[in-house]
Amino acid sequence: MAELIIITALLPLTALMLVTQTNPYHALVIRGILGAIAALVYALFGAADVALTEALVGTMLSITLYAVAVRSSMSFRLGVLEPGDEVLPEAIATALRQGLQRHHLRLERVGYGSEEALEGAIARQEVHAIFQSSAPATVADAQDRSAQTSAASHPPQLHIRLPRLHSLLQGELSPELAHLKLYES
Amino acid sequence: MNWILVAMIIALCIPIYEAWQDEDIWQKMLAFGSIATKTSIMILVISVLRDDWMIGVVGVLILSVGNAGLMLLAHVLRRLNQL
Amino acid sequence: MITGFISLISSGLIALGLVFWIWGTWPLVGDRSLLFKLHSLSVSDTLGSMLIIVGLLLKIPREWPLLVLALISLAIWNTVLGYVLAYCSTPSPRNFRGSQEVRHRG
Repeated sequence: MAELIIITALLPLTALMLVTQTNPYHALVIRGILGAIAALVYALFGAADVALTEALVGTMLSITLYAVAVRSSMSFRLGVLEPGDEVLPEAIATALRQGLQRHHLRLERVGYGSEEALEGAIARQEVHAIFQSSAPATVADAQDRSAQTSAASHPPQLHIRLPRLHSLLQGELSPELAHLKLYES
Repeated sequence: MNWILVAMIIALCIPIYEAWQDEDIWQKMLAFGSIATKTSIMILVISVLRDDWMIGVVGVLILSVGNAGLMLLAHVLRRLNQL
Repeated sequence: MITGFISLISSGLIALGLVFWIWGTWPLVGDRSLLFKLHSLSVSDTLGSMLIIVGLLLKIPREWPLLVLALISLAIWNTVLGYVLAYCSTPSPRNFRGSQEVRHRG
């Protein structure tokens, strides 16, 4: 009789573990553990059909669906110009990635062919932010810029569409690395 | 025969504790895999103790299908680190 | 006489399986690397569970198709799961290439 009570007590214990998780991916794994324990408890009390449903639908199907949903929704889509490696410096990408990771988001880069396409993408709400380097567009401009030695006076700009993301990233990215701006259409 | 279940509960508590205290997601996955195997074996033992064929079928089904969900989740998490 | 002997053997097998379980699950708590834990866990979990099922099989031979199915699926799935977890948890070197992340659009 005692082991019946102990096994049943494991169910609220794992449920508490589940609701105290903050990282959505950790919560998914704990949800799997909760499902396994729940199936055990249901089988212990003789409800074989409920246990089977919990294991197949509650654990396997729902975890897979939620994993795909969380993975595709919790991402920060950043529009960059097409040759992505040169346009987005690794220092900024790393700083962004670390800042976003603190809020369980991940960085996803979307490449575009031209400045106009980039502007259009943020206007159509395809991306959450666009990255505009202060790199020159024309040759004459380039000569003009090479005269200026300090590149730090013109940091690249990050236009962010959503105020919440803007305020989240405000403290994470240093101003001389990239200048954060709230995008207004 | 109840001593089997008590010892199994003790063995089951170790990965639960591990899943709670470790922050690395792959360690949590490892604990999840261990718990999934252990619970289905416990269901099998209960079915034999009670001589209930139906619960035994459920235990075997969970044992053979439950791991598939674990593998799917592992692949999704792997792709997550890649992007 | 014979039945008593068989029940003793099955109890011994189950106890041995339980010892395997606890012995192999214990390193999970420590601070070792993932692959070390995976190794001890997959060996002890698979072997311990199979010993327990064989013990149950000796206890109730009437349910043999079910228990043999459990034995087979345990042996196959746990091995495959060990491989999949080890493969997924170790990142391949090209993951860190930035150019892979760019998705072409528009």
